[in-house]
Order: sequence, then C-alpha cells, then structure tokens
Amino acid sequence: MPSLRPFFPLHQIKLHSQQKYMEDNNKPHQIHLQILSAAAADAAHADAAHAGSIPDKTAAKKAVSRLDVLTRFHAGYFRISLALCGQALLWKTLSEPTTDARALRPVVRAVPSFAFALLWSLSFLTLATLCVLYAFRCALRFRCVRAELAHHVGMNYLFAPWISWLLLLQSAPRSFPRPSDGCYHFLWLAFSLPIIALDVKIYGQWFTQGKKFLSMVANPASQITVIANLVGARAAAQMGWRETAVCMFAVGMAHYLVLFVTLYQRFLGSNSLPAMLRPVFFLFFAAPSMASLAWDAISSTFDTSCKMFFFLSLFLFASVVSRPALFKRSMRRFSVAWWAYSFPLTALALAATEYAQEVKGEVANALMLVLSILSVVVTLALMVFTAIRTNDLLPQDDPFACFPTVRRQP
Amino acid sequence: MEKDFEFSARQRPSSVELPSLLACVQSNIANFDITPSPRGETPHSNGSEITGVQNLTNVGSAPSRNSPIQAIKPHHAHTISISLPSSPSGLYVGQNSEIAMSGKAVDNVSNEHSNYHKNPHIVNLQQPKKAMFHSQPMPVGDRKVLNPLEAQPRNPRSSRLRDNRYDSFKTWSGKLERQISNLRGKPQEEEEIIDSQKPEPAPVPGVDRFFDALEGPELETLRASEQLVLPEDKKWPFLLRFPISSFGMCLGVSSQAMLYKTLATSPSTSFLHMSPKVNLVLWSISISLMAAVSFIYFLKVIFYFEAVRREYYHPIRVNFFFAPWIACLFLAIGVPPLVSENLHGSLWYVLMAPILCLELKIYGQWMSGGQRRLSKVANPSNHLSVVGNFVGALLGASMGLQEGPILFFAVGLAHYTVLFVTLYQRLPTNETLPKELHPVFFLFVAAPSVACMAWAKITGEFGYGSRIAYFIALFLYVSLAVRVNFFRGFRFSLAWWAYTFPMTGAAIATIRYSSEVKNVFTESLSVVLSCISTLTVIALLVSTVVHAFVLRDLFPNDISIAITEKRLKSSKKHVRVRAASSDAQDLEACVSGDSEGH
Repeated sequence: MPSLRPFFPLHQIKLHSQQKYMEDNNKPHQIHLQILSAAAADAAHADAAHAGSIPDKTAAKKAVSRLDVLTRFHAGYFRISLALCGQALLWKTLSEPTTDARALRPVVRAVPSFAFALLWSLSFLTLATLCVLYAFRCALRFRCVRAELAHHVGMNYLFAPWISWLLLLQSAPRSFPRPSDGCYHFLWLAFSLPIIALDVKIYGQWFTQGKKFLSMVANPASQITVIANLVGARAAAQMGWRETAVCMFAVGMAHYLVLFVTLYQRFLGSNSLPAMLRPVFFLFFAAPSMASLAWDAISSTFDTSCKMFFFLSLFLFASVVSRPALFKRSMRRFSVAWWAYSFPLTALALAATEYAQEVKGEVANALMLVLSILSVVVTLALMVFTAIRTNDLLPQDDPFACFPTVRRQP
Repeated sequence: MEKDFEFSARQRPSSVELPSLLACVQSNIANFDITPSPRGETPHSNGSEITGVQNLTNVGSAPSRNSPIQAIKPHHAHTISISLPSSPSGLYVGQNSEIAMSGKAVDNVSNEHSNYHKNPHIVNLQQPKKAMFHSQPMPVGDRKVLNPLEAQPRNPRSSRLRDNRYDSFKTWSGKLERQISNLRGKPQEEEEIIDSQKPEPAPVPGVDRFFDALEGPELETLRASEQLVLPEDKKWPFLLRFPISSFGMCLGVSSQAMLYKTLATSPSTSFLHMSPKVNLVLWSISISLMAAVSFIYFLKVIFYFEAVRREYYHPIRVNFFFAPWIACLFLAIGVPPLVSENLHGSLWYVLMAPILCLELKIYGQWMSGGQRRLSKVANPSNHLSVVGNFVGALLGASMGLQEGPILFFAVGLAHYTVLFVTLYQRLPTNETLPKELHPVFFLFVAAPSVACMAWAKITGEFGYGSRIAYFIALFLYVSLAVRVNFFRGFRFSLAWWAYTFPMTGAAIATIRYSSEVKNVFTESLSVVLSCISTLTVIALLVSTVVHAFVLRDLFPNDISIAITEKRLKSSKKHVRVRAASSDAQDLEACVSGDSEGH
C-alpha cells in the first residue's frame, strides 16, 4: 500500500482542528484570551528583563512580599481619610441648629456630642497618620511617587489629602477658629494652593501633553480633581472670599463638563479602570453633589441650579446603584477600593440635607433621612470590615503597587 | 346510513361529477367524522374530490349558502388549533365555533391541498376590511393539524418549514400560541413532532453584529455579504414587519395637534384667527392613531416577543422605545380645552415612570456598558432618548408641578450635552453617522426647541436661558434647511414621521418667542415655520398613503431584526481579523461578561 503523504503537515492539521473546535463551540474569544495571556506573559518578562533586577515571575513575587509598607502604600489610601472627614462634615451639618431636620432632630440629639468629637478626632488622627506615611514615602521612595503621578488613576488621588484637610477644616468643632479668622484663612490657603498647583499640572496635561491626552487618561477617578476644586470653592465661599470661590468653581465646572462628556463617551472602553476599582464609579454622583453644595454656598440660596445638580446626582446614584453587576468583581475581596463607596454617599446626603432645608416637605426630609442613614451605615460597615480584615488592606497584588524598578503603563 | 351513502358515492368513479352541493354536504358531514382512512384511498376519488371542490371554489360567485362555509370551514379545520387574533381566519373561528370546534378533524389530504391554495383568496373575499392583514400566511394554521400519519404533499410541508422559521421570533418560540390555542379548547397531538423540529430562539446578536451586517443611516439595509435568519423572498407575518418606528407616526401627528393648539391660543398668532376645532380634529385623529398603533405593537409584544427584544438591541431602534411615551406626552400637552382644562398631576407621574426606567437603563449603558458605549453607538436617533426629558419637564411645568420638571430638565440637559458633543465630534469610531444628510438629522433641532419652552415654563418667563436655547435651535434648523438638497435619494420609511416633530417644535418655540418679542419678523417667521411643518406632514401623509395602498410596501420585511448572530460565510477569517486588530477593551468586555450592564 503506498504511503499517502498527508496534504498538510500533521501539526498544522492539529492547529486547524483545534481552531475549528473552538469556533464550533462559539467561543472565539478563547483564542483571544490565549493571545492575550501570552502577550501579558511576554510583557511581564520584558518588563522584568528591562528592570534587570527581577529575572523571573516567582522571584518577582518574593520581591513584592519583601517590599515594605512604604512601597505598597499609595495615595489611594486617602480614600479612608476622605470618607471619615466627609462623615465628620455630615455629622456637623446635621447637628447644626440651622438644620431644620424635623425627622432627624431627635436622632441627632440622642447621639451625645462627644460622639461627634470622637469622630472628628478619629478623622484627624487618620489623616495625620496617612499624611506622615505619605511624607515618608515621598522622602524615601520618590521614584514610586513619580510613577504614581504618571499613572492615570493614581495621579488623581494626590488631590485626596488636600480635600480631606479642607473637609476637616470645615467640620471643625466650635473651639476651633471660625471661618472669619485669619488663622482659618491661612489654613485654607495652605490646603488650596497645592490643589491649584496640581490643577495646573494635570489639567494642562489633558490638552497639551502627548501621552496624557484626556481621551487617553480619562477615567471615573479623574472626577476627584473636579471635587477638589468644588470643595475649595465651598470653603472659600464660607469664608467670605466670593471671587476666589467663583474662580475655583468655574475651573472645576469647566473641566467637569469636559470630563463628563468624555467619560460618557468612553472612548477607551472599560479598559481604563481595572475591575477592582469599580467602586470609584460612585464618584459619578459625588461631583454633581459637591457642585450643588458649592453653588449653594456661593449664591447663599439653594436655587434652581443647585437643585438641578442635586437631581442630576440623584439620577446618577439611581443609575449606578441599579447596576450591581458592575461591582460584582470588586466585591469579591475586601480592599481599600471599598472605601470609595463612602464619600460619594456622604456628599449626596449633604446635598440632600441642604435640599431639604430649602424645600421643606416630607419627600425631601425622607430623602435626607434615607441618604444620611445610608451613608452612616456604609461608613460604619467599612470601619468594621477594616478592623476585621486589616491584612487585606495592604495586599500583595494591589493594583497600584509600585515596584521600584518597573513602571506600569496606563 | 348516510355514511354508507357517502362511501358508495365515492366508490363510483364514473359518476364522479358529484353535484357540487352533494360534495359540499359530503365533506361537510365528513368533517364531523374522525375517520381519516376511508377517505382519500383512491387517487381517482381524490381527484374527483379535488375537482369537485375546485369547481366550487372556481365558481366563487355561486352564492350557495354552503359554499362559503364549506370553503372556509376546512380551512378552519386546519386552523382550529391556532388562533392568532391577527389572522383573519382566527377572527372567524370565534364566529363559526360550533362548526370549527369539532375535534381534531383532519380532512383528506386533497382537500388540504386545494384549500391551501384557494383559501387565502376566499377568506379575503370575506373580509375586505382587514386588508392590512392579508399577507398573514395561512400555513400558520395548516401546520398544526397536519396528521403525521398521512402522506404529506409537498406544499404543506414547505409551509410547515416556513412556520418553524418564524417560530424563533415568536414568544417562547411559539409555545404561547399553542397555549392560547389550548385555551381555546383543542388539544394538540402533533406537538411532539413539532417540538422536535422547533428551533431554539436565536440568541440576540451583539451590537457589533448590527454594525457589521447593516448599513444606512437607520441601519436598515442589509449588506451584500449578509444573510438573514428568516426567508428573504417571502412576506413575513404582519406583526413581524411592524417596527417600533411606526410610533413615529404618532409623534408626527400629535405634534401637529400641539402646533394647532398653540396657534389657536397664543396671543401673537391671534391675527390668524385659527379655529380651535382644527386642534380638536387633529387631536382626535392622533389619539385614535396612537391607540391603533399601540394595540398592534402590544400584540407584537405578546406574540413575537423575540422580535421585540431584537428591536431593543438594535442600536437605532432602541431609541424609538421612547416614542410611545413622548407621543402620549404630546397628546397631554396638546389636549384641546374642550376635552379637559386641567389634567390631573398623577397622569404626569404615570407617563414619566416608563421614561425614567428606560433612561436609567440606556444612559447607564452609555456610561458603563461594554459594547454599547456612546462613542460607538452615538447617532442622531439618540436625541429621542434625550428629548423625552424636556417634553416631560414642559408638561409637568404646565401642570404646575415644580420639583419633578426640574429633575427631568437637569438629567436631560446633562445627557444632551454629552450627546451633542459626541455627535458634533463625529468620532472616527462612530460608524452610524451617515456621510450624507438624512432626515434623521432634523432631530438635532428637537431638543433645544423643547428645552427652551420647558425652561420658560419652569421659570415662568422667557429669560436668557430660554432665549439661548431657542437661538441654538433656530441656528441648527437654518443650517439644515439650507442643505435641503442633500436630503434627496433616500428610501422612504415610516421612521421619517418621527423626524417631523422637531420642525413642529421649532415652530411652536418661535410662536412662544414671538409672543415675547413682538415684531413683524418674528410673527412672519412663526407663520412660515408652521406652514413648513404642516406641508412636510402633508407630504409625508401622501407618501405614506401611496406606499400603503398603491405600492403596498409600507411594511417591508423588517430585515434589521433578522440578521444572523454570527456572520455565516468566512467567519473564521473574520474572527482572525478581529483578533489581530481588536482593542484590549473589547476583549475585556467579552471576557468580563458579568460586568456588562445589560
């Protein structure tokens, strides 16, 4: 019998049949996955090779575990301080005598005033600790800080400490300097000037620099830059510095407009944000809430524009909350990203409080009550989770861990 | 006794030319028997029966009382188990129930064979009014009662194949129809056979498939390389051909009613002496049209739910899901004073609730959905998703509500900004914007003009905000109107009706503006714009009538919903090309299916 030479070499036949098998199973993306994982492995190897100090993957893992707290710490941890300071501000606003919270008054009066002082002190201590840690990181791991500044998500959290300080300043107890004092003005300047400097850097990058165009780097965390401006504007308005307030408000709103449009367009798709960071989607409704509060402070009344911002943030809240599938992957394990849930809810509750003061009705009061309770519950839950799972706070594979020698591309 | 007579009559082929009445009676009474086998044994007798029946049907004018009944009844014997209300025979089933509900009687094959051909015409003679439904294929009924034991002639089998193919679009793949027919009293024995042949409902294609397979400004033309899931050469059931863009007709007509109400009541146009009766007539027409279209579409939702789902996933048609609610809002705004002076506030909540739910879903998809992000699917029809907010705000403010209108205005303004910027950018990733102009571009004018009126009602005066919005609307209108040459050469579709309401909206806004700024120019502008919009609507009405009755292609096969889930030819090559050039986010969207916001 003559030996029949196959038409194709054998390995090609196998490849063909394998592909056919996969397509028959209607799973062409499996092929994609293989390509991707191969590419990723290659990239990791290339990075490691480029770094020169970490020859293979297992060694890389060991190196990570040896890295100390300073390296794994990053500006995203300021979410904790943001949340706590926001809570302090909410408590202060609710307990103010001008707050006509008929529904809330008995509840708020029931909580002893030292609880508020405790909360404020806790926020202050947390913020101070985090700032000290970050200062050490800047001093000793400056390369990491630079890498973080270059990262499209990490760079936004450099605003977070200043926002927290401003919130803390606004929620200061009565014994602290009043907004009309020179001391207060000085503190405001100390906290807002870095915001303005970062504004100039980052907003300028958006439309001038090659790799950091807005369409490339836009992601939901970029709204923190806008929130920083709005918080500064609100604080300035409460101090009486109206022009400065309007200036910061205008800058914030102009960039918010651009950012809002870009984020909705989602030019780059969902790739701009890792799945673990989906909680920052809550920032979508934090920004309009802060805008509403800021304009309320500037114009001294909760007028139609404030209402419109508040309603927009309510709508976005409903929209985000009605999509629980979006957050499924990030909820599998506790991480510091979970703290991103708290501040937006607090901002929304604050805006609802102002709204209820203006529009005195059952619906408005009920809304204020519900949102405030939600924000308090979420923050308490997060505190409990943090206490239980402190180890998870600094996990091995935190997405923004900065290796001293490897730069992560956006 | 009588049976003996029948059988003996049959077995005498020489006297085959039975008197037509006798043949009639024979098959009449025969229907009550559940004895298939004795009949149709000899082809000769079959032939005689065929000729006998054919004589009957050919002599269509022979108005013996029995013949129409006979002609229809065997047909009903077929359609006993299926009762699609849209089928004319189904309507008859109820009437002739005492004849039709006679067991699963199956005629002899020859009767089916001939009646299958003849019945559509007979039935049409009986029901001239239901001309719209005349294309409903009769075989839908034939399939059910074909006795599997009998020899199958060719035609009923092909009709059965066709029915199965429509099954994938029916609700629960046809089970609902069977349920309904079960409820009407007739058990099915052929279900097992048919279940084994029943296709699974085809999975809904992803967004990319719609863009790959279709082209055109409304994504309704099939590309040459594509195939359809349903047969291309046959006319599909009417409900399958009834698209959601038919609600555009309601939008067009109800906006006209609004216009004539404004013309009659506005002080600046009092020189026209417009009678309020015009508004009343138009409003009545539009409310009846709305009721009719809603009813038909409701039937489609019940019976062809899969088709409705596919329309929802179509990137252009999804926006038309707002159209019914917007049309209802128009009706509420344009209600004649004779009908009611003040509408109850709860009506507003009832009308806005579905809009709110739809919005939450669709804007959320823009924000977070993997495949349906705005940079990819943005097209001028998206204005329909946004304009509902402004119309709701306008209605709420005219009813005296305060917070609700502001809420919807705010949401609409924010999302309108996004959409406006995206469409003006004409991003390279956006494939749906036609290179040439198409009437859909008139939707650009809709949102600013309605927003202008809504803001004026909310704030109580025609202030700067309203004026800015009005001037933007006017500018867009003029920049489109001077390009009217570029609107030629498109195939008429029912969706064009939806593009007339922006012109009407601009006319109403101009009337409002002219009551603020009174001079000859503004008043003449308002008259001119109103005339343009009325003339456009009349022209569209004429085209619609021509297409409906003369050309009879008002409802062509709705191919946009029948595209295949994957490209059938050269699919491997396509997949490889995709793999080579796809962005990382598409992969992530594929892989992280749980994060999709559907």
